[in-house]
Amino acid sequence: METMQPSDSALISLYIAGQEEAFAQLLERHKARVFTTIMLIVRDEDVAEDLLQDTFIKAIHTMKGGRYNEEGKFSSWICRIAHNLAIDCFRREKRSPLLNLDTTSHAFNSLSLAEEGAEAALTREETHARLRELIQELPAAQKEVLIMRHYGDMSFQEIADATGVSINTALGRMRYALINLRKKMAAQPVFYDQNVYPREATPVRVQRIAG
Amino acid sequence: MIKTFTHEKLLRYVYNELPAKEQQEVEQALVHDADLAATCADLLLAQRTLDGARCTPKQSTTNSILQYSRTFLKAG
Repeated sequence: METMQPSDSALISLYIAGQEEAFAQLLERHKARVFTTIMLIVRDEDVAEDLLQDTFIKAIHTMKGGRYNEEGKFSSWICRIAHNLAIDCFRREKRSPLLNLDTTSHAFNSLSLAEEGAEAALTREETHARLRELIQELPAAQKEVLIMRHYGDMSFQEIADATGVSINTALGRMRYALINLRKKMAAQPVFYDQNVYPREATPVRVQRIAG
Repeated sequence: MIKTFTHEKLLRYVYNELPAKEQQEVEQALVHDADLAATCADLLLAQRTLDGARCTPKQSTTNSILQYSRTFLKAG
């Protein structure tokens, strides 16, 4: 039986009350999403690790300083901090788009080598690295919405508010981001490898409808 | 009457952002409209593919953040 996980809101209350374990759970729950958001903007593992720390340090100060606003989702809030820090850093550094892009970097270590075999995992990881490259090639406005929505867990309305556009514009940008990604992927047969991009539309559809 | 849905509405559906009533309308339409269901499936596949690009930080970074939090507590 699946155990009930405490909500972010409950964990924040416990953390503010002095329970460090609650913060450890919050960090574990959100670190990959926040790190991915940062990584897709700065494209440098060391910088991303530093910015991840800066992001959570800001959050610690806000929560323990009694300034955390309960309105809105924690995930959106923390990703917005991360996004702002990453954008500031990117502008400051004025990085060349592909300067630090290492497609074989072990920073992208979200897959378990032991579970699926080293060779398959390597192929899969190379493909995911290529996907991250394709995301970088998207027009800036489309990339921004895709990162904020998919990795930052911000709603389309929150993205619209943060970027100063209407929700329909944000939705349109996301739509074209996905269309463009799909075109780029279609041009590269590796993405249609059954192990990487399974074409099993029916089971997915049924699963979602049932859910 | 067959109700049509915009791509933008489907996007909000796959990201669980539609109000309950509109979500139900989309789900009913998915049962009867194969094209709509296929478009929706494509979006879900795109979501799944994007999930694969997610990455995680080093354990040492996580440990540093936790350490900072504990130290901050003592200082406060």
